Amino acid sequence: MLYDYLRRGVQAGVIAGLAYGLFMAFVANPLSEYLHHAQHDHGHDHGHGHDHAHAVSETTTAIVSVGSGVLWAIFLGGVFAIALYFLEPALPGRGAGSAFVLAGAGFLTVSATPWLVLPPAAPGAEQLYTVELRLAVYVGLVALGALVSVAAIGSYGRVASRHRALGLVAATVPIVATTVVLSTVAPTIVSHPELAGELVSAYQAMAALSQAAIWAILAASVSWLERREATSTAGVVGPNDRRSTSS
Amino acid sequence: MAGETVADRIDAARAVLTPIQAATGLTFAAGIAFVLVFLQDPLAHDAMHNFRHAAGITCH
Repeated sequence: MLYDYLRRGVQAGVIAGLAYGLFMAFVANPLSEYLHHAQHDHGHDHGHGHDHAHAVSETTTAIVSVGSGVLWAIFLGGVFAIALYFLEPALPGRGAGSAFVLAGAGFLTVSATPWLVLPPAAPGAEQLYTVELRLAVYVGLVALGALVSVAAIGSYGRVASRHRALGLVAATVPIVATTVVLSTVAPTIVSHPELAGELVSAYQAMAALSQAAIWAILAASVSWLERREATSTAGVVGPNDRRSTSS
Repeated sequence: MAGETVADRIDAARAVLTPIQAATGLTFAAGIAFVLVFLQDPLAHDAMHNFRHAAGITCH
């Protein structure tokens, strides 16, 4: 059964990876390159090693970035499916419902919580802290995000048994509290001196929406694959195999 | 299915996985995560530049 979950997770990862790879190729790659060049044209050094001596060509960057995007979605799909296998009994919602709850928790853990301190940076960003410090902070925030997810699901479970809508409110409390506390306490550690604020916001929204889309596609694909396998196994046993009539 | 707990799932996984297999899986996952999110080697860093920016990964 664990293997079935993992297989569906990787398949869902391939589906999400194709979508995200296309997004990388046709939206994120050109936009990132454009921002990179737009700032180069100002022609002054702002202390970024990667702005100047490129270790690889732009074509390589474009291809590897698309490949990394595909691999990222497959990786998330695999981790998501294993987590779903173990945590499904503890998750609220049935079938697709629990998959979407877990996908939301995944997004909160891997992306949203770390972004409260380390927001997505457009190319050419100036960072206040070294990369080692930021990666350490990132790991800590992933752990915090997991705790917040557990707290949100836990408080939903405690309250929803009495009243479902109140349970949803209870679930948002840990999330909103973390958001408010972190966004007030955390210093602004990334700035984009050469980019318009609206452009930076748009780039960050693009990052946030595309990551959220990966999780949504993973949850939708995993539950779709599960339903499809359930009906096709039933079809082999039963007299009217739905695959033969539909295909 | 009904009444199943997380502990049941862990037991079921123990029954089909050897510790070596579990460790191999974890190593694989950790390896992919390390390469995509943490690896700072200039070659890897520059090649994944657009991906890391667009995915909001705090690489640089």
